[in-house]
Amino acid sequence: MKRLTGFFAIMFFLLMPFCIGAEAGKLFEEANVSYRTGDYAKAGKLYASLVEEAPQVAVFHYDLANACVRLGKLSQAILEYEKALILDPRNADIRENLRHTRGLLEYRVEDNRNWYLKATEAVLKFATEREVYTVVLAVLFVFLLGGVLFFIRGRGVFWNLWQRFVFLVLLMALLVAAGKQVQSNLIRDAIVMQKECEARFGPSEHDQVAFRMGEGIKVFVMDRREDWSRVLLTNGESGWVRDTDIAEVKV
Amino acid sequence: MKKILLITAIILGFCAPSLQAEELRVSAGANKNSAQVGEEVRLNIRVSGQAMNLQAPRLPKLDGFDAYYTGRASHIAFVNGVSSSNVEFTYTLIPQRAGHFVLGPFEMQVGQNMLRTEAVELDISGGQSTSSVAQTPSQALATGGNAPAQTYSSGAQTPPAPPPQMPQDETVAVSPGTDDNIFVQATVDRRTLYQNQQMLLIYSLFTRYDTRYEGFEKEPETSGFWIEEFPMEREVPRENVRMNGKRYIKADVKKLALFPTAPGNYTIQPGSLKVSIREEQQGSNAFDEFFSDSFFTGGSFFARRQNRLLSPPPIQLVVKPLPEQGKPAGFQGSVGSFRLTASVDKDKVKQNEPVTLTMVIEGEGNIETITRPKIPALTGFKTYDADTNSKLFQTANVIGGTKSFETVFIPKEEGSSFIPPLEFSYFDPRQEKYVTLRTPNFPIQVEHSEQAFQMPQELAGNSLFQKKVRSEGKDIRYIDEKRPDMLQGEVEDKIFKTFAGADIVLTLILLLLWVKDRKDRLFSKDQALRRRKTARSAASASLSKLKKLARSSKSDDVAAFFVELEKAMTQYVADKWDLSTYGVTRYDLEQTLTAHFGADDAHLKDVFELYRLCDESRFGKGSIPQASKKIGLKIFQDTVNRIERMRR
Repeated sequence: MKRLTGFFAIMFFLLMPFCIGAEAGKLFEEANVSYRTGDYAKAGKLYASLVEEAPQVAVFHYDLANACVRLGKLSQAILEYEKALILDPRNADIRENLRHTRGLLEYRVEDNRNWYLKATEAVLKFATEREVYTVVLAVLFVFLLGGVLFFIRGRGVFWNLWQRFVFLVLLMALLVAAGKQVQSNLIRDAIVMQKECEARFGPSEHDQVAFRMGEGIKVFVMDRREDWSRVLLTNGESGWVRDTDIAEVKV
Repeated sequence: MKKILLITAIILGFCAPSLQAEELRVSAGANKNSAQVGEEVRLNIRVSGQAMNLQAPRLPKLDGFDAYYTGRASHIAFVNGVSSSNVEFTYTLIPQRAGHFVLGPFEMQVGQNMLRTEAVELDISGGQSTSSVAQTPSQALATGGNAPAQTYSSGAQTPPAPPPQMPQDETVAVSPGTDDNIFVQATVDRRTLYQNQQMLLIYSLFTRYDTRYEGFEKEPETSGFWIEEFPMEREVPRENVRMNGKRYIKADVKKLALFPTAPGNYTIQPGSLKVSIREEQQGSNAFDEFFSDSFFTGGSFFARRQNRLLSPPPIQLVVKPLPEQGKPAGFQGSVGSFRLTASVDKDKVKQNEPVTLTMVIEGEGNIETITRPKIPALTGFKTYDADTNSKLFQTANVIGGTKSFETVFIPKEEGSSFIPPLEFSYFDPRQEKYVTLRTPNFPIQVEHSEQAFQMPQELAGNSLFQKKVRSEGKDIRYIDEKRPDMLQGEVEDKIFKTFAGADIVLTLILLLLWVKDRKDRLFSKDQALRRRKTARSAASASLSKLKKLARSSKSDDVAAFFVELEKAMTQYVADKWDLSTYGVTRYDLEQTLTAHFGADDAHLKDVFELYRLCDESRFGKGSIPQASKKIGLKIFQDTVNRIERMRR
């Protein structure tokens, strides 16, 4: 009896993901049909529930963003495209739709950053955080294996050309990983969600308005004070906005 | 040419001694003995024979004449090995009154010698020639005909001046402080014109000096104009004119056709041109005579010259927009006077075979800006714009040319068809009205053909004629309907975790291997250290063996136990103090232990007792009780523990 109970318990845990996957698949199909037939509101709701259920799936974010564009919710769409890009950074469709949607915004911010900052951002955004770390671990594995083999075989020179090369690659991979870590966790991207947003010189309503921006503008959150966030724009402008005015790009 | 002259000069240099012998002679003469007041008379002073560093003779004040120096000419001849040379200085004399005049004799310094010419006699009558009539500015303008020119001079604020074809005598006001002997005029043929209508801008240089034109120092600023420059002759033609009662040599140095591109008020900055004037006081040398390439006359390459910049004042223009009234629908901005001809290469073709229509537009105006006449939408033809050729020409003061357009028509349906007339419209500024020209109606007989359409051979391979894929609009890309592969994410996750685990394990292994390696290296260098460090582990191994023997109840194992115990104890002590394992004696052991434990140490006595017990078990006949094994084990353990503590 105990064996039978154990068998069923194991089978339940093994098949559970497939049951959930089947349910999500059905929902996904329904959302696609709604989108195809022009019922963008329903499609948007269904995609949103899918995103809630499986936030690590880029397709759900992308499709939800498309539905938001159709519904005119541009800031929400841009937020979802940004999230989709974090999960699937080399997807050309996401990039193109994000570019197109940004073109529909009322406000536009010039990118006055130095070329090397732009280049670094482009390189780091080419891969996901997990991909970068996996590469680092793989290179480290090769390096450690070389070291172990050296001691086991007991001959040759440990710090030979090959080992130096692997070490150099490891250093570079570590550098990229560090950059990715900074990009993902220290530089917090956010999207302005309000139609009109006022950025002030300080974190209170008493402070003077520094500049105004519209929905969908991408900002970098540099600091936090209670309900306020200090944001930096790519044109170099900086100001304090209410937390409710922005949404962080985080999955 | 200059090189040849230079070589000649060098050769002459070598031959100089033979030439020195030639006698110097100076003569003077006029090109005519009688003239009228105002009529130009050329006075020549000739130096024959070899002469070095000749300076142009300065004429004395000639009463009744205006005189000015116009340059020099040199001539060298070799005849039967004998060389001869002469230099001729030319002056222009303008008689101011009638009478009989005796000019000269003129004196000339040649080396150390002062040479004299003979006198020249002239009869001047009182009549006035047409060219010498002095005119006021208004008179000068009035003689300009229907299209009077507006002329500006470098030295005048309100410049009256004639067009190029004006009579010879004019009056020009010259600003105080400026040199009225040399100035430049920028002349336009009209100040009010239509957009894209031609306007002529001429730069005329007036001088009374021996002058060389050096080119433009600053080009005219003509933004807002399409410019065509008339090619100038290498030898700039010159003419003698009178202005303000003075004789000048005039040369047109630059001629531009300007086409304003948009209506409005314009100011042309005419720029400045550079001239060099021969300084008369400076001496000339033999080279001057051979390298005389003055722009006007008499200038010498090596003569000292003074540079001058001459700048005419800005020119104001009014460009009128083309009239809206009567503007044809197909008008594309052409202004001038044109003719249109057209032809087709064949009038009978098969379906999908090309027919080429050639249109040629010819006439006066800015031919480069003429655009292809628009082809109306044709249902029965596919049309392709083919070659465009243009040819520009300048005649007198007019820019014109021909421009041809080829259009390929490909009939799609069989039967009688025709290429409809194509229209070309232009604005004629003379008539001030629009003119529309049309090509004839070309009938085309199209025969049936099964051949499918393909790009004509003459157009194939030219990507210009292939229709481009163009974006019709912009929108977001479609949703991704493919079900996401959950497994892929899991696989990636597993790979990540596997690498992470493997890296941790490998790091630990590597650390252990490294420590072991370090230890091995150290022990290989110091055997005593190795024995000391490994003594405890060896004692532990012996202890395990001893415990096993201690548990045995066999009588034989008692002896074996004590043999093993003695061996273990001796080995341990020997390892700890680096004594020879095989050569160590009981005395050595006792001495070593006494030295470290002290002679009165109780435990030391136990150790000695243990050794005695071991000896007894090996050599004695009596049996040793089983309990002694436990005591022996304890003494051994205590000894090891105590020595280990001591060593720390």
